[in-house]
Amino acid sequence: MIEDKLVDHLFRHQYGKMVAILTRIFGLSNLETIEDAVQDTFIVAMHKWRNILPENPEAWLTLAAKNRAIDLLRKIKAEQTRIGKIESGTISISFNELFLDHEIEDSQLRMIFTACHPSLHPKEQIAFALKTISGFNTKEIASALLLKEETIKKRLTRARKLVSQKNISFEIPKHGDLLRRLDRVLEVIYLTFNEGFHSNGKQLLIRKDLCGEAIRLIKIVLSKKDLRIGKVYALFALMCFHASRLDSRIGSAGEILDLKNQDRSKWYFPLIRIGNDAMIKAVEDGSFTSYHYEAAIAGEHIKAKTFDDTDWEKMLLWYENLDTLQPSPLGLLNKSIVLIQLNRLDAAKDILNTIESKDLEQRAYLYYATLSEYCKENKNIKDAIENLDIAISMVANKTEKAYLEQKKKNL
Amino acid sequence: MKEFMMIFVGAPYDDLSPQEIQERLGKWFAWHGKMEAAGIIKSSEALQPKVKRISGEDRVVADGPFVESKEVVGGFYVIRAESVEKVIEIAQDFPEYDIGGSVEIREVMTFDQ
Repeated sequence: MIEDKLVDHLFRHQYGKMVAILTRIFGLSNLETIEDAVQDTFIVAMHKWRNILPENPEAWLTLAAKNRAIDLLRKIKAEQTRIGKIESGTISISFNELFLDHEIEDSQLRMIFTACHPSLHPKEQIAFALKTISGFNTKEIASALLLKEETIKKRLTRARKLVSQKNISFEIPKHGDLLRRLDRVLEVIYLTFNEGFHSNGKQLLIRKDLCGEAIRLIKIVLSKKDLRIGKVYALFALMCFHASRLDSRIGSAGEILDLKNQDRSKWYFPLIRIGNDAMIKAVEDGSFTSYHYEAAIAGEHIKAKTFDDTDWEKMLLWYENLDTLQPSPLGLLNKSIVLIQLNRLDAAKDILNTIESKDLEQRAYLYYATLSEYCKENKNIKDAIENLDIAISMVANKTEKAYLEQKKKNL
Repeated sequence: MKEFMMIFVGAPYDDLSPQEIQERLGKWFAWHGKMEAAGIIKSSEALQPKVKRISGEDRVVADGPFVESKEVVGGFYVIRAESVEKVIEIAQDFPEYDIGGSVEIREVMTFDQ
């Protein structure tokens, strides 16, 4: 059967690999030609494979990319010597070697660093990464990021233009640059994951793919020895913990299930185990980043057998650490939620008083939902309903609205 | 048993994403597998869009395609079936109606003595 031979997302992942290898050969200035060429090989594969799949589809596609590269080289009349050797820093490696697994990984890592180059705007970085590394097309990026196709098209055009005009070299940065640029890479991966994780509704499937992609990207980062440091593992752990709960967040009728109501037996344990391992490595070098604390918080939820078993004291400690390191209104809001769970209502209220709901931007409704929760615990049902109404009037997402309305009914 | 040709028209793939290509391939594979299991396939081919057309007394050669991409013949199957109704049933699983593709069914002529 086809499922046995074609792994999930084979074409999408192969797209990223092939584009990366070919870019290493032809340079970023030829990116558009390269992407068209890869698309062509896929269409050929599609016709060829309709009746009989090749024994090893992945190898078939890689070979196709190689042949395509040779064609292109001939076409642009590159000197014969260039086919033999590609300059790669101080070491030149042979054309054939570029198609070996570890060199493909290296090429993809170069593409990740290119996508996260500081001359690109953060919004362009995500779109560019999803296109060139993850093989999403404009339509898919638009639906994953809940934006118009037109917007994505513009961002991609601008990003491609910058990448080719600024003469960005297709390399992994060295020494001090490497770690500085790594921060941006982690941020882009983190944002990509969050786009997928904190979303509900119609585009659920594609957004789940976003989470999967973010995890795949960080695995590529971890393939390089120099980059196996605490914060990378911490982000990896964070994403594993979150991703293990993806399927349990939506009920059978498409409704949101909060942590209280999720079926914890549906959490995906293999991912939790990988997350735990990553967490051990994350703390080895003794430095702590916001990823560490966010992973600790996610891990704390995972550890609890039931919602009531949650160690809220520990949770509070993690949130306090996080807030010290990276103060944010959302962090404060989360802290107040934990305090409500601990029944320290006055302390919760003190924090809520310091938050300006507008600072939370599109998440301002969460503020009112929390305020409502506080009123409820204080047995002030009237105010609880009032605040919930404000929250309902502010929330844009239908599924989340339904969730809040259900809450109101329960009051 | 009669023979029929199913001719596929249209459905350019240019705008498909890698993921969509893979999903579409899966559908083609399933369809082909079903026909193969039923043992009704006589032949099948996919065709390149490029056309050479020779015409006129002078055998003038022209380069195509001569029609819009949505009208280009992309391939065919020759299958054995009892009736055209049966073929229409089989063609229900053709995977490309959603991207503007269509199927034309033509019965192959037989010349009985």
